Parts: sequence; structure tokens; C-alpha cells
Amino acid sequence: MPRLLEDTIAAISTPLGKSGIGVVRLSGPQSRSILAKLFRRQQQDLGDRRPVLGEIVDSEKGESLDQVMVTCFLAPRSYTREDVVEISCHGSPVLLRSILQLLIREGARLATPGEFTLRAFLRGRIDLLQAEAIRDLIEAQTLFQARVARQQAAGGLSRRVQPIKERLIQLIALLEAGIDFAEDDVAVPGDNEIGEQMNTIRGDLGRLEATFAAGRLINEGFSLAIVGRPNVGKSSLFNALLKEERAIVTELPGTTRDLVAETAQLGGIPVRLMDTAGIREVTDRIEQLGVDRSREALADAEQVLLVLDGSEELQTEDGNLLEELEGRSYHLVINKIDLPQRLTPDTLKTSARTRSLISVRTGEGVEALRATLLRDLELEQAIESEGGLLTNLRQEQEVRSSLESLDRVKQGLAENLPHEILLLDLYRALKSLNALTGETTVEDILDHIFSKFCIGK
Amino acid sequence: MSRDFDEEYDIVVVGAGHAGCEAAMAAARLGLDTALYTLNLDLVAQMSCNPAIGGIAKGHLVREIDALGGIMGEVIDRTGIQFRLLNRSRGPAVWSPRAQADKQAYRTEMRRVLEQQQRLRIKQAEVVSILRDGEKVWGIELRDGRRVKAGAVILTTGTFLNGLIHVGENHYSAGRSGEQPSISLAESIKMIGFEWGRLKTGTPPRLDGRTIRFDRLEEQKGDEPPTPFSFRTEKIPQPQVSCYITYTNEEVHRIIRENMGRSPLYSGRIQGIGPRYCPSIEDKVVKFPEKLRHQLFLEPEGVNTYEVYVNGLSTSMPVDVQMRVVRAIPGLERAEVIRPGYAIEYDFVQPTQLTRTLETKKIRGLYHAGQINGTTGYEEAACQGLMAGINAALQLQGQEPLVLERSQAYIGILIDDLVTLGTDEPYRMFTSRAEFRLHLRIDNADQRLTPLGRHIGLVGDQHFQCYQAKQKRMRTLEAALQEIKVPVENGRLSAAAALKRTEVKLEILLDLLPPGLRNSLSREELKSAETAIKYEGYLRQQSLEIEKMKRAESRLIPPHFEYCGIPGLSREIVEKLSRVRPVSLGQAGRIPGVTPAALSILHIYLELNARRDEISA
Repeated sequence: MPRLLEDTIAAISTPLGKSGIGVVRLSGPQSRSILAKLFRRQQQDLGDRRPVLGEIVDSEKGESLDQVMVTCFLAPRSYTREDVVEISCHGSPVLLRSILQLLIREGARLATPGEFTLRAFLRGRIDLLQAEAIRDLIEAQTLFQARVARQQAAGGLSRRVQPIKERLIQLIALLEAGIDFAEDDVAVPGDNEIGEQMNTIRGDLGRLEATFAAGRLINEGFSLAIVGRPNVGKSSLFNALLKEERAIVTELPGTTRDLVAETAQLGGIPVRLMDTAGIREVTDRIEQLGVDRSREALADAEQVLLVLDGSEELQTEDGNLLEELEGRSYHLVINKIDLPQRLTPDTLKTSARTRSLISVRTGEGVEALRATLLRDLELEQAIESEGGLLTNLRQEQEVRSSLESLDRVKQGLAENLPHEILLLDLYRALKSLNALTGETTVEDILDHIFSKFCIGK
Repeated sequence: MSRDFDEEYDIVVVGAGHAGCEAAMAAARLGLDTALYTLNLDLVAQMSCNPAIGGIAKGHLVREIDALGGIMGEVIDRTGIQFRLLNRSRGPAVWSPRAQADKQAYRTEMRRVLEQQQRLRIKQAEVVSILRDGEKVWGIELRDGRRVKAGAVILTTGTFLNGLIHVGENHYSAGRSGEQPSISLAESIKMIGFEWGRLKTGTPPRLDGRTIRFDRLEEQKGDEPPTPFSFRTEKIPQPQVSCYITYTNEEVHRIIRENMGRSPLYSGRIQGIGPRYCPSIEDKVVKFPEKLRHQLFLEPEGVNTYEVYVNGLSTSMPVDVQMRVVRAIPGLERAEVIRPGYAIEYDFVQPTQLTRTLETKKIRGLYHAGQINGTTGYEEAACQGLMAGINAALQLQGQEPLVLERSQAYIGILIDDLVTLGTDEPYRMFTSRAEFRLHLRIDNADQRLTPLGRHIGLVGDQHFQCYQAKQKRMRTLEAALQEIKVPVENGRLSAAAALKRTEVKLEILLDLLPPGLRNSLSREELKSAETAIKYEGYLRQQSLEIEKMKRAESRLIPPHFEYCGIPGLSREIVEKLSRVRPVSLGQAGRIPGVTPAALSILHIYLELNARRDEISA
């Protein structure tokens, strides 16, 4: 069994797909010696942090695979703090895999998912929050996500949690001072004051927790179902909406994630298209699938677009769908407004959140619809105004459990429980926040007490 | 080195303060020939600061000392002149006893107890050096040249190591006011190569009680009936005296501010670090300018003296300033200063150089306890003395050491904090230092510790019978509370179930208990049973957390584990771990600066090592 941190790992570190450039990365003490067996170059010295041009050669077969640029990052000035070698080659999946296989043949081990980041973390290069943010950066399928991930890595979330934690420590210090210095002239806060401070902290934490909706949306995107009876233009609408940002197919380095064939993006947010009839298979399978298939997709989708054909009167199937969606929040889209209109949208009774009139054929109204959908997500505001966001489930759970502990404190206050009992849950709430930003020690709490109260007989 | 010697004991204790008395007593009770050396036989167990024992968290320590078989609790019970149970407005977990002591009576009684102990000799002499053979101690040398051989030496030197007293512009060497310091011994300890530091503490002026207008001041009486410290004290017969409360005022603060230039604290003459929770009045005035008055307690030093201690007015201002300050205080307008206040600086040895038995890592058989380890307080000192005495004795007898866990006792927390974190200011116990505060109560200290004290042989037959009898009464009470049914709105509940309700108190159920049982139980025993029931849910939760902590504590790190070369540990962390040499992963995690990431790496390495050992075995 290879010893942790002592062997050298390798992985393809760019998304698998047809891209211009692909990168294979090595990390560990043997990075350079493994590379040396495969890399033919003019210049002898590989140097540090300097790209070197050459060829990857399969020495057994004696053939050159590709012309590549190799950059060495010597320990500890590298991402993992180990010797790291990055091989940039042409972005063909077959070529990348061949290079990886050669590296493994020469002694590298295939990295497990996230192992580069784990090493960086284990070697103290990054803290846990940064590690998570960097994982998100790797996973960022879009520019928008990348922006949030960068913010997180720079400590956006820590900066946001810190002041909340400070207030919690202050509250704990107040109660502790009342217990440990009961003999001193310490003004113990009344239950009202404790309650008020609790409410401030809970309010802040509640707002932080609420950012998870936006954070998750940015990180994971949302699922979209475009429904409507056949021939209203669902497929072409989908293509039009996502036109400039055509699907990126991802496969994470070292993982075997299945192709996410229908991931596209909308204004930077990943969109997973629900497989509704009338998009790929519309031409040959209209009869069998139709509305029933749309219904299934509806159940799972987070966002729904109902498309009606403006050039025709309302059909029974349209009516059924409207009925189906009644009471649900969705977006109503009337297509084909370039044709003579037979539908009178004003007479439609719907619970739709927005209405858009478009023509996919002429492009009229499509931009406005995109803007409407994006605005509806209310993301910009969340990001610009708040700074730190909760983007993964672990963070969200810590915040939620902190809130739950504070709820118990509030209940305990109402029941007149003594402070040493209230403190049990206050410490639990603090512990959850510590999990986001690092430890708080008894000394931190004593510091607060001694700076606030004149203690000592 | 010549090994000639004049006398020989199993254990030698240097210093007869609160740590030294417990250490010597424990060692002798465990059957070892013990000698206790002091510079002045008349000042055994001297209270150099305030005339009181106990207080919040400190009272817990005294209960624990008593439960394990120490003596502080019974001595203060016999010599206390005012008893109060503090924090009564909160739950029983943070209740703590405190008593004003008759200082002289306390000394006399402690000396009587020590003198009656077999195998224990008290000696007046100055110890000037530690004798050792390489890394093993073999005795001590006295000022007159005599050499005393010993298997173990326990240093409990208090503020005496290089003690330096400051009063205003004057300073002079002293161990306490009017007592000589230990300078040669300090040199001898430094020669060993310990890392040491300098701390400071201070005391207030003492006044002549006949010149105080008590009638103008707020009186603070003792509790009736008083709560004893020792589990074996049934009744405290002595009458109680009162303390009085007064306050400083703006005039006092003005005098202090005007004379700040003459304060050794603020002129930079004092280098040592003082305790933040026991600041001098100079500090209070400077650091809390918005506070217009500071509370002062006037505490009698005994029943056979008029001397009064002004708790809260610790100062090292020049004597003339002290007198003006005192006379500006309401009620003290005509007060006479008997002894001026002073600050004292002294050496301490960084306690991270100790193992959890309080033995030094450098020199086998050498133990440090009390203020030499950077603590403050009589109770903190006494509990260390007790543990050092116990462990020195157990080691000489070839027994397993007694190490208390953080989840077991405040004593365990104190020692773990000292040896893991070290200290840079005088260390005092607080209940907030306890992770499992609800478990570590004064009412269950005996349950937590007396069986351990019995196991090592420190708890005598009488003490243990007393404990067993109490446990039996408590079990009978618990059974009775399960059995007795009380009517509630919709039916009947057991008394135990009813007690879980906040509004139901045990007092109202007392009449339902069989009279024989009811009369056999003390107030505190009843309260203890009630607490166990009322806290049950919280206690169960904490028990789970204690289990978790124990798992981390049980992942042991081999004594000579090599941290150097573990990839991922920064040099700083390797240095910290190598210095403290934690015995477990749990302890490693409490070292400041050891990150969770470093811990998981350490954990992985320990696992890898263990697996490798398994394979090769």
C-alpha cells in the first residue's frame, strides 16, 4: 500500500471535452523523475515555474505522442507544496488519456478525486474553507461560478461569519462573567438583553443561511423543464435561450462522472435541461410521448417554462397543461408572435410568475426572456450585497445547526433555565461556526471578559 | 559527585505553603518517610494574600482535594469564621463554597494536623540546592551544608524564588513581606536548564479594625447554616463574623492618577506579568476610566486580631499614597494602615516541562507544585501539592500514577491546562475552563474521586465508611423517589418524574419520604439527589460528549514519537508537539496552534504506525 503523501499522483486536470488545450498534472517527490523518462526536449534544465517546450515520447514504442509545454513547480512553491509538473498538450481526450497511462506506467499513481486539493490541505497550504472553495473552482462549470468560488477562496465567507461569531463570543463572555465572577461587581445581563443579542445573532445567521439558495444555484445550477404541446417551438426555444453558451461537457480529473449531456448555461448559471418530449426526440416520437412525458419532467424541475403557440387558438392539450400548472409558480411564454395571433393571452387565467411574448424564429423577445429568467433568480443582489455565500451542504448544515442551538437557547430563556444550562447550547452554536472559520479557545472568551469587566477583588 | 548525606527520607517537600502541606501529608499517609522543609516553622500554611479559602471554581477544587483524601477542607472547616455558598441564584453545578479564615488559627490547625501525621517530619531550614545524578534527583542541600537524601523531591516554593517586593519607588528581595527569599535555590533550579519566567502578584494594605466606621458600611453576613467544605464535617459550631462592603470614589481615583508616576507598575520597574482577574487598583483606574467606583470588601483576618484585609485594593503605590487613598474611602476616613500593600515579582518554571504527574520531564524524581508552576491561589496550589505528593509516592512504590482526566475533576483540568498550554500570567481556575461543568459539581466530588483516593490508599477507613454510608443513603433516597407517587393534574407520577419539572422542588416532596430516611439526609444530600434528576437530560448529553473526548484521549502517542519528518506538519507545529510531548491525540489537539489539519495528519500517521507494527508483529 502506498504511504500517504510519499508517492506521486497524476491526473488529467482539465475537463474532458473538445477544448484547445488539455493539462495532465503530477504531484509528489517523483514528479520530475517520472517526467524525465517521457519528455524529450532541447533544453536540459526543466527549471522552476518556467514553461519548457518538448515532446512526450513513448520510450517502449519509440514514438512521439504530441508536442507539449511542460512547467515544473518546485516544492514548496506549488499548489500542493510538493514538486508539481504540468504537461499542457492538445486537448484531445484520447491523447490526454494516453499520456496519463504512460505516467502511470512509469510509476505515478492515478489520483483519487480531489487528492491534489487534499494534499494541499494536508500540507497546510490551504484551510478547510479554501479547500472547499477550490474544489468548487475546479467544478465551476461556468464563469459565474468561478467568480463566486474566487470570492470564497479569498475568505469572503470567513469574513462574513467572523463578526457573527464575535457577537456570539461576546454573549458567551457576558454569561460566563456572571457565573465565574458573581462575587465581583459584574453587571449580569438581564434576560431581555440576552434575548435581544440572541435575536441579532439569529437574524444574521438566518440571512447567511438564506444565501445557500443562491450559493447552491450558482454552484449546482438548476433544472429547467420547457413544456408545451408538440410543435409550439420548445426545442428551438431551448437552443435560442442557450445559444451563445452551448453545453460544456464535463468530466472531472480522475473521476468517472458520466457525461452530463444536457448541461448548458444561462447567464453563467448551469442549467440542466429536463428531458421533456419535444426537444431531442420531437421529430420522430411526437405521438407516443406528447404531453404525458412533459408531466413527468414537471414533477422534478426547479424551473418551468410553459410554451403556447400564439398563432393558434388554445387547444385541449394547452388547457390540460395550464390546469396541471395551476397554483404552481412558472414562466409563461407565448411563441410565434411574428405570425397572425389567434390566442388572446389576456383572457388566460394562470398562476404564472412572468409572461413573455417571443418569436424564436425572428429572435424577438428572446433576450428579454433570458433577462426575465435571470432577474427572477435574484442572484446578482445576493452576491454583490452580501459577499460571502454558503455554497455547499456542509457549510449550510453548520449554519443551520448553529441556528438550531440558538433556538434552544431562546426556548431555555423562556423557561428561565440557569445560565450554565443556556451556555451548553451557546457553546454548541459557537462550535458549529468554528467549523467554518477555525477554533475559539477558553482564552478567547476570558479575554473578552477581562477587557469588558473590571474583575478582581 | 560525592554521595555522602546526613539524613535520608523517601520524599522531601521544599516549602510548607498550601501546596507543600498537601504534598507532605499525602506522601506520609501513603506510607513514605517524608520531610517537609520550611524557612519558618511558625508560618506553615500562611495565607499571604486574602484571609479566605474557596470561591467560585476554587471551592470546587477544595471539595475535590477533600474527596481524594487531602486536608485543606477539614482545616478550613475548623478555622473558618464566615461561610457562604456562592452563586445560589444559579444552578447547583456552579455553586461553590467560600469561607473567611482566621489566618492564625488556620496556620496553627494545619501545623497540628501535620505534626500528628506518622512518618512526617517538619523541619525549619533553607534548602539551597537540588542534588542530582545526571537526570535523576537524589536529594537536597541545606544552607548549613547538610545533605538530605531522598527518592523524590517536591518543590513548592511559592513566591520565594528570587522574590522581589515593590512598594512605590522602593524594592527589596523577599519571599513575602518580612520573610527572606530563596535565591540560591532559584539558581540551582536554573542550573538544571528549565525554561522559566517572571510573574507578579500583589496584596492590599491591612487596616486596624478599631479605626474603621463599620456602622456606616454595608454588612455581609455568613450563611446560616454554614456550608462546610469537607464531606466529613457534619456541623460548623464556631460563630460567624461579618464582612463589610465599601467602594472607591472619584477622589480615590484622582489621587491614584496624580501619583501614577510613582507606581512601580507604571514606571516600568515591575517586569513580571500579573493576573488580569486580580488587578491592582492602579490597573483598575487606568483600564476602566469609565467606572466611577470599585467595590471593596473589608475582611477580618481573624477573631483574635483587629487586622482587616481590604479586598480589591491591591496596590504597590508608595506608602504615603496608600494612606491617602485609604482615607478617601467612605468608612475609612480615620483608618490606620497596619501593613502597607505591596507587589511581588517571582520566578516560575514553565509548566509545559512537566508530565501530567507534575514530575519534571528533565529530572526524574523532581516534582513541581503550586506557584512555581505559574498558578495563583491557595486552592490551585493545594490541589497540585496533593497530586505531586500522591504521584511521587506512587512512583516510589512502583505503582501506576494517578492522573485525573478533564472530565473527572477540576484538578484534572488545571493540570492538563498547565502541562499542555503552559501559562504566561498567573493561572487561576474558572468554571468556564471546564468542558463538562454540569458533571463537575461540589455535591458529587466524592462520587467522582473518593473511590480513586481509596484505591491508592490515601482515603482511610473512617473516611471511606463515611463515604459508603452516604452513597447508601443516596441510593435509598433515589429508590424512594422512584417509588413514591405524587398526584399531578392528570393522574399520578413518581416523585422522580415530577421533579423533572422546573417548578417542582424536592422540599415540597419531603413530607412524602419515610421519616427515618428524611432525617438521615443532609440538606446538601437532598439537593444533590434533586440535581441529578433535574439535570438528567443535560448530563446524559454531556456523557456522550465525554465519551467522545475519551476516545481522543485514548489514542495514545508513543512517548518517543518522532514528529520531525512527518510531511504536512509545519516546523512550528513540530516544535510545539516536541516540546509538550502530548500523551494522546486529545491532548495534542489542545496545544495552541496545533490545527485540525495537523491533527488529522498526526492521526493518519499514528494509524499507519500502528498498522505497520501490527504487520511486523
